[in-house]
This record gives sequence, C-alpha cells and structure tokens, in this order.
Amino acid sequence: MALLELKNLSINYGAIQAVRCLDLEVNTGEVVTLIGANGAGKSTTLRAVSRLLKVREGSIHFDGREITRQAPDAVVRMGIAQSPEGRQVLARQSVLDNLELGAYVRKDRAGIKSDIAKMFQLFPRLEERKQQSAGTLSGGEQQMLAIARAMMSRPKLLMLDEPSLGLAPLIVLEIFSIIRNLNAEGTTILLVEQNAKLAMQHSHRTYVLEAGQITFSGLSHELLLDERVLQAYLGG
Amino acid sequence: MTTAQFLQNLLNGISIGSVYAIFALGYTLVFSILGIINFAHGAIFTLGAYFTYTLAVGQFGINGLLSGLNLDLQVPFALSLLIGAVLAGLVGVLLERLAFKPLRTRGADSLLALVSSLGVALVIVNAIQYLVGAEIYTFPSQVYGDIKPAIMFEISGQPVVVRTVQVIIFAVCMVILALLGYVISFTRIGKALQAVAENQTTASLLGISVDRIILVTFFMSGFLGGLAGTLVGTSFGIAGPYFGVTYGLKGLAVIVLGGLGSIPGAVLGGIVIGLAEAFVPPDYSAYKEAVAFAFLFIVLLVRPQGLLGRSLIQKV
Repeated sequence: MALLELKNLSINYGAIQAVRCLDLEVNTGEVVTLIGANGAGKSTTLRAVSRLLKVREGSIHFDGREITRQAPDAVVRMGIAQSPEGRQVLARQSVLDNLELGAYVRKDRAGIKSDIAKMFQLFPRLEERKQQSAGTLSGGEQQMLAIARAMMSRPKLLMLDEPSLGLAPLIVLEIFSIIRNLNAEGTTILLVEQNAKLAMQHSHRTYVLEAGQITFSGLSHELLLDERVLQAYLGG
Repeated sequence: MTTAQFLQNLLNGISIGSVYAIFALGYTLVFSILGIINFAHGAIFTLGAYFTYTLAVGQFGINGLLSGLNLDLQVPFALSLLIGAVLAGLVGVLLERLAFKPLRTRGADSLLALVSSLGVALVIVNAIQYLVGAEIYTFPSQVYGDIKPAIMFEISGQPVVVRTVQVIIFAVCMVILALLGYVISFTRIGKALQAVAENQTTASLLGISVDRIILVTFFMSGFLGGLAGTLVGTSFGIAGPYFGVTYGLKGLAVIVLGGLGSIPGAVLGGIVIGLAEAFVPPDYSAYKEAVAFAFLFIVLLVRPQGLLGRSLIQKV
C-alpha cells in the first residue's frame, strides 16, 4: 500500500488554481521526484501535504489515514517532515536548538540525544558549528541543517523542497549523496527539484508537473530516456 | 541634590521602573509573536489590580452593581497577587480567542486587530465601572500582615526612607524577570515560542502548534499585565477603572524606547523611564507623565529602532 496517496487533488492560491486533479503516490522505501518548471505547482503540492494550504478538492492519505483536513502540527506527529524551499532555518537560534526543535514532537530525551549525535556524524560540519546561530551558516550548511532538522522528527516520509537551490555544484552533489544515504537507511523521500536530471538519477520514480497537472509519470530511469521529457526538462 | 536624596530617587525609580518593565514585556511578547500591539493590555493591568483587591480584601466594591457582595474569605496577599495575575492571564487568553483569532483566521489587516483590542479595552473599563464603581481603591494596610511600612537608615547623617512595598515590588519583578528569561531561553515551550516569533510557517513544519503557542503567549502577557497592575495598585492605590490607560500608554513608550520586540529592550526601557520620572524635581512633578514621552522623543531622534532594537532594515 502507498505510504502517501494524493487523489484528484486541487489546490487554489487565491483565485488561481495552482494544482488541478493531481494523482500521486509514494510507496514505502521509495525516492519519488516531482519535477516541473517554476510555478508548475510543485511546492504547492508539498505545502498541501504539510497542511499549510487548504485543499479545495480531492484527498490526501498518509499511512492508511486521511489527513486532508488535519492541522500542520498533527501531520508532523504522524510522521511527515518537510525541509522547505529556501531552507528556512531559524536564523536567530543555534544549530543545536534548530535540531532540538526538529524533535519537538518527540518526548524520548535519550533518543533525541543519540539522533543529534547521528546527525553530526552525517553532517560533521554542523557539529563544528553547533553553537553558532543558524543564520551565520553558508547556504550549503543551512541546507544540511534543514534536512537534519527534518530528520530529527524520525519521519516516515521526508519531503525536500528544492534542496539544491542556489548551491555550488559540488555541494549539490554532496546533498544528493546524503539523500541517497538517508533512503538507503530506510527513509521514504518525496523530492521536489528544478535540477531535473540529477533528481531523476537519484530517484525511483518521477512525476512531471506542468501548469498544475501531471503530464508524465513513470520509472525515473525510463523517463530519463523519454524524448519528450528530455526536450522539455533535460535540455534536449 | 544630597546623596540621600539621590539614593532615594534611585530606589524609587528602580522600583517603579521594574514594574514598567514587566508590564511592557506583556506588550513585547504579543508583538514578537503576532506583530501587533495589544491595546487592551492597559485594561488587563487594571483588571489584575481589581482581582487582587477583591481576593485580598474580600469585597467587590464600594459602589456599583456588586457593591453589596462580599467574599466569605480573605485570601493572603501574596496568594491574591498570584491568583489575580493568573485570572488576568486567563482574560488575556479570552481576549485572543474573541478579539484576535477571528480576525487572524480571516486574514484581516493587523490594523483591524488593533482597533478590535481597543474595543475590548473600552468594554473592560466600562464593565469595571458598572460593576464596582469608579472610586479610588487603596489596599488597607492590614492585608499585608505584620510587615513594617518603611525601612529607615541614614546616609552621611541624612535619613533615607524606603517604603517596604517598593522593596517587595522590586523583588517580585526581579523574580518574574528571571523566571521569564529562564522559560523563554531554556525550556521546550520557550524555544517553540522563539521559533513561532521568527517564522510561523517553519514552526508549524516542525510540529509546533502555533495556535497553542499564541494562547500561551497571551496568558503570559495577561499575567504580567495583571501582576503589574496589582503592584502599582499597592504602591499608589487603584485610581479607578481608567487606572490602566496612563500606564498602557507609558508601556508603549517603554517598548518603543527599548526597541519593539526586544525583551532586554523592554526591561531597559522600563528602568530608564522609571528613573527618569523619579528624578523629576518635586516642583515639576505635575509634568512627570510627560517625561516618558519626552525621553522617547529624544531617543527616537537618535536611534529610530530604540535602545536595543534590531535595525529595521534586516539582511534577508
């Protein structure tokens, strides 16, 4: 059964219909990527799953339960974490505080502590800067912090919104190898990216979103060879 | 000015200044979370004083609708102070639910929230007048128990008189400030509060219930307001239902002076204005109220963001 299932989802942004009749599934253990041009509705979809936006029509099911009308904090407690676009670290608070706030929904002090140690293992640069306020980190470090913070809630589903945005090519590769590692360790991932090729190379399945609608979907390695996708998103 | 006089003014200033500080923090907390000024804060200040009075004295009022009613008990003053503040905090919660939340969920302009809170302030003030009358209330000295009314000592041969109530006020304010600082900086709820203040969307993505944090904030704000009301009431008496209006305005001067949204700023601003008032010469004491605003005016000319405020232009 699918871990996340969006059925016939429509979302409005004011008077504009941002997403129309969208069907999407993420199965346990997968990395699924959602690609598309700027304004196609990718972030809107993630924001709706995180319950930051009202759903006009359709439904969202997660882990066997309908969450279409749940509150944002409730879905985090159920196991959905998001690293939002633009990273959105809490700039005034320390790296450590950011991580601790990532575990806000958890009560197991010992588990939180060992998870922070684990994150520092995964992102050694965050450990070096753990007392620094997050606003002083570089873009790449902030992205790492945003991912680590999202992982601190021990999510069943990790949603990443444009993790490569504005980062140097080497850092982008580092971020993608981290995504692969997290998945190998058992985290299911829904990835939104403009860097289509890299995202598809690091995912099992891909959905292509155009003006709020899914136009193509399938196995990533197959779509990577698809003439139409190639032309539109992979620079021919 | 003799040393003794100087010391006297200093003590007076710090004592009242610390009350301004905790009162102004009530504004600051709400402002840092919602970005609005709660104009009902002065009315909650008044309510806190009346709550404590009723509990400590055991009667509702000399005049007004409830004047005949008496409580069968007289709660010890320290406990009355605490319960009064808690009740004021609950009024803060009610205020959020009735005056702010409905507007917020409809995405109304924050100017409307301001007008809405002004309306609530008027309702509270008029309700007080209707229920317990417009008289000036002073706490009868027996409610404090066997505490000496004043501490006297000499400095270079001149007597200095410190009213005990001022020492107690200062001590209470310091305890509250320390407690508040601890809660905000070191506890889970405090860190969540900081997260909500910085970015509500991010806070919800971390599983923080923004709605609950807003309620907690209004409770703390009301608690501080109510406590300040009682403390001023014990020092100068409760000057009728409009008692909180002047303090409400002065509190605004304090937070703007200290820097909007800054917690250390509110504390510093409170103490500075308290001291400035205390050093107004007795002959000019009628102009005491103007001092806060004159001070504010001068500071804003030099530092528009306030003493400890972040610069308004921030790096994005």
